Amino acid sequence: MRNLLNFLLKYNNLIVFLILESIAMYLLATGNNYHNSRMVKGMQGITRGISERIDNTRTYLSLREKNAELAAENSKLKNRIERSAISGQEAVVLVTDTILGQQYQYTSGKVIQNSVNKQKNHFTINRGKKDGIDVDMAVTSSEGVAGVIVGCSENFSVAISLLNLDFRLSARIRSNGYFGSLTWDGRDYREAVLNEIPQHINVSIGDTIESSGYSAVFPEGVLIGTVSDLKKSGSDFYNIRVKLSTDFKKLTYVSIIGNMKKAEQIELESRFQ
Amino acid sequence: MINSILRYGLIAVVLVLLQLLVFNNIQFSGFVNPYVYIMIILILPAGIPSWLLLVVSFFTGLIMDLFSGSPGMHTSATLLAGFARPYVLRLIAPRDGYELGSELSIHAYGLRWYFIYTVVIVLIHHITLFYIEVFRLADFFRTLLRVILSSAFTAGFILLMEYYRKGRK
Repeated sequence: MRNLLNFLLKYNNLIVFLILESIAMYLLATGNNYHNSRMVKGMQGITRGISERIDNTRTYLSLREKNAELAAENSKLKNRIERSAISGQEAVVLVTDTILGQQYQYTSGKVIQNSVNKQKNHFTINRGKKDGIDVDMAVTSSEGVAGVIVGCSENFSVAISLLNLDFRLSARIRSNGYFGSLTWDGRDYREAVLNEIPQHINVSIGDTIESSGYSAVFPEGVLIGTVSDLKKSGSDFYNIRVKLSTDFKKLTYVSIIGNMKKAEQIELESRFQ
Repeated sequence: MINSILRYGLIAVVLVLLQLLVFNNIQFSGFVNPYVYIMIILILPAGIPSWLLLVVSFFTGLIMDLFSGSPGMHTSATLLAGFARPYVLRLIAPRDGYELGSELSIHAYGLRWYFIYTVVIVLIHHITLFYIEVFRLADFFRTLLRVILSSAFTAGFILLMEYYRKGRK
């Protein structure tokens, strides 16, 4: 005890200094954001190395569990793939409850005959009147626009492909909303032409082209492709080539989209024409 | 006793006011920031107990911090200066030592002694203060330049004020 007192007496100067200085440092650290963050950073710099090593060890020790988890997840995903392949064969008919305000009805189908090398290409789908398919319904692949139904039998229907000189589709540029008409010029099955886009609009290569929804056939915003080439011709309009997102050479599964309110719309529009 | 407490208190108040109203407003290229309030630590009598010196330093720094919005900076720098003062005094002691309770002034110990004393304490204070202010070593030499320039100005002002203080008597 006496030694302790002696010690305290001998170094009272230093002790008072340390106490007061630590108060000052506390004020410095709590009162100034900058100093506080610098101090915290410094502390982290010291502890980071240690905590990193601890973390490494921990992940190594849990590798066995991680492996089991991954294996379980893998088998789950594989199950899902097989199931989806089976369901792809079936026709999916959505609830046709018009009271709910559903406008488009989707039916899945499979392309059983197709061509891309003619000037007027058509393809055939294994769905017909029996499945609720009718003329002037839209056909899309999972990548984008494919064609429009032009004829139906009981079990089959024929669609005019986008790759047909007679095909016309109202399309617009997604970024600015300007619309024009999309046709095929009969040259390349991977490219179509977008007309009637005036030259004062900013269009650049890579812009997305989608359906405009003005035709009452295709819903709004179905992907068509991206701008691949862009020329200013002598007229007021651009000469835009569109790289189609649908690959018509491997067109297999398609959705047939029926507009359930189309009759109403056309009837109303015809009164003013 | 009471008399001398009052006298040093008055000097302290004058110095703090001088610092706040005049020297804090010196904008000279950002390198010169004299902190003359450290003179309070310099002029306290030789025989003052070191704990009292530390307490005085602490509160001087605290008041400066309160008025300049920088909690802890002036406090820690001034405290270190107050802590170092007895050691500095011992280091530069004249041949026959200090008279107990005597004032540490130019008159008592001469210009040369007072100059060394002032410069050492001011340097200790300024080095601590400026490096705590930037709180990193990235701009080491830039900060060092600020320390040296500011210390020179502070020491100069303190010597001038010391002459004025003694000359009036």
